[in-house]
Amino acid sequence: MSGLELRNVRAARGGREVLHDIDLTVARGELLVVLGPSGAGKSTLLRVVAGLEPLTGGRVVIAGRDVTGLRPGRRNVSMVFQSYALFPHLTVAQNIAFGPLVRDTGRARAREQARRAAAAVGCAHLLDRRPDQLSGGERQRVALARALVREPDAFLLDEPLSNLDIEQRAETRAELKALHRRVGAATVHVTHDQVEALVLGDRIAVLRDGRLEQVGTPDEVWHAPATTFVARFVGSPRMNLLPGDGPLRPPDARPDAGRTLGFRAEAVSLDPDPAAGGVRGVVERVDVVGEDAHAYLRVGEHEVVARIPAADRRAVGEEVGVRVRWAAGYVFDAATGRRATTG
Amino acid sequence: MRRWQPALMLAPYALGLVALVLLPAAVTLALAFTDYDLIRPPAWIGLGNLRMLADDPVFRIALTNSLGFAVVAVPLRLLVALGLALLLHRRTALVGAARTTAALPTAVPEIAYGLLWLWLFNPLYGPINQALRLGGGNGLTVLGRTPPQWLTDAVDARAAIVVMSVFTVGEAFIILLAARRSLPSQVYELAAIEDATAWDVFRRVTLPLLAPVLGLLLLRDMVASLSVSFVPALVVTDGGPPPYATTYLSLFVYRNAFEYLRYGYAAAATLVMLALTAAAVTVQWRLVRRAQRVYGL
Repeated sequence: MSGLELRNVRAARGGREVLHDIDLTVARGELLVVLGPSGAGKSTLLRVVAGLEPLTGGRVVIAGRDVTGLRPGRRNVSMVFQSYALFPHLTVAQNIAFGPLVRDTGRARAREQARRAAAAVGCAHLLDRRPDQLSGGERQRVALARALVREPDAFLLDEPLSNLDIEQRAETRAELKALHRRVGAATVHVTHDQVEALVLGDRIAVLRDGRLEQVGTPDEVWHAPATTFVARFVGSPRMNLLPGDGPLRPPDARPDAGRTLGFRAEAVSLDPDPAAGGVRGVVERVDVVGEDAHAYLRVGEHEVVARIPAADRRAVGEEVGVRVRWAAGYVFDAATGRRATTG
Repeated sequence: MRRWQPALMLAPYALGLVALVLLPAAVTLALAFTDYDLIRPPAWIGLGNLRMLADDPVFRIALTNSLGFAVVAVPLRLLVALGLALLLHRRTALVGAARTTAALPTAVPEIAYGLLWLWLFNPLYGPINQALRLGGGNGLTVLGRTPPQWLTDAVDARAAIVVMSVFTVGEAFIILLAARRSLPSQVYELAAIEDATAWDVFRRVTLPLLAPVLGLLLLRDMVASLSVSFVPALVVTDGGPPPYATTYLSLFVYRNAFEYLRYGYAAAATLVMLALTAAAVTVQWRLVRRAQRVYGL
């Protein structure tokens, strides 16, 4: 049974269309990550599901119920805002109990539900504090507890980790994943962080300028990017994209300006002897990231990045032989940006 | 030099404050203990003025009137300002014009405002009573009652002064409008997702978040209430109808000082006004602080 379904959803903001015909299904118990750069319409998508933003076309169906015309409070969704949106004048317990209280749950029962929700996300010791006495990570937990105090049909998270530092982010990511397994609602998690998307998502929907570029499992998005945009957006350093008539081509391919060739930095190897074969390139910059080094090379008029062991890095200005493992390459249509063949 | 810069920059203001406000105020307070008619030199009479005030029935009436006005008008004015601010904080059609209208009466010079109401309140040809008489016969309202005698009946005249004061809430309105607009929209969106009713949102979100501002406005209006009633009482009701129905403390002081030339006596009444204000402010300040602690603001 589908937990959440968007059918041809369109939305506009200030007269400009920001979502174009979005078709998306999230199963009950599934965690879908909506990934995209800022301004892609991710938050609008979430707000349309919650009913905070009007849509100009299409339907929103939650738990088999068409909620398109219903106000936010009647959709049985819960949401964690990027800013957490905690009430500054209420204690943690009162913040979490806010939903039950305004839904006419008795005071004692609401308090008990708040205590249980807080315990589930590990902030039971904070119940009597106020938001301004909490750290960023603690606030985030309280916001989660508040969203989970009910049993929502759809659980919406708007960049919930973006205000945390890197260490907390990794930790909270793991907890969020475990928490989601227990909640069992259709979860939509919005982020611009591709690592977060790959780690958390059962599936990933890549959004660009209000259009879905690709919807697939993390493996599919990583190994079979549907478009050059997805290929470039997922992965760090970014995938190399060169024209089909450029200097680097599979040995059996003839020059074809209608194609774009893609290969990740891991598929590039460097030979210290430029004459040894492959194509000549000049090292322009080297970023060392612990064990790895990202070497940015100039090959003809193109830039190519190679991921090599830091121990084997080359000096800037050095000429090297560049070789590509084409078995791990991709071919895209240069005009549409869509992948041409299975790669 | 650095260390003295703030003091130097404050000096002109501080100088003016001391020379033009604090010193005259101190002199006036000193005059409270003298018999002074602005012509002959003041003569020290100690607590004589205060003793006379205690026995002065007109002063007692003025005191009661002022307290009554404060108790009725201060909460009412704040409520009206809050209502207007909450009505007009969203961007909707004509909201700019509506906001200007709400703030406008405060910008009208007080005397002109008073003269305007003198016409509005006229029991016979004033538009208010003409409207109230619509549909009724023999100069009565539709319910068969006599329309309010704004300027000749004691209770109606006091009501008239309150009505006048309710429309000059522009400052509080603008402050509350700004305060409401600075509240984060996401807490309201969260309330919408939880299906909170408008009343719940007002009670559990808006009111507590605006509480610090409301507390300060309450304090300020309390202090201002002693002077807000002055011009209307002077221009519209002339302190009447008898016996002294709209003679407030400020008007009492004015009459004694500048019409009866009992300057020392008026200064003593001012002293009482000041003490009352200080007491009211202290009590409210405590309440506001306690509320702020409860809400953790």
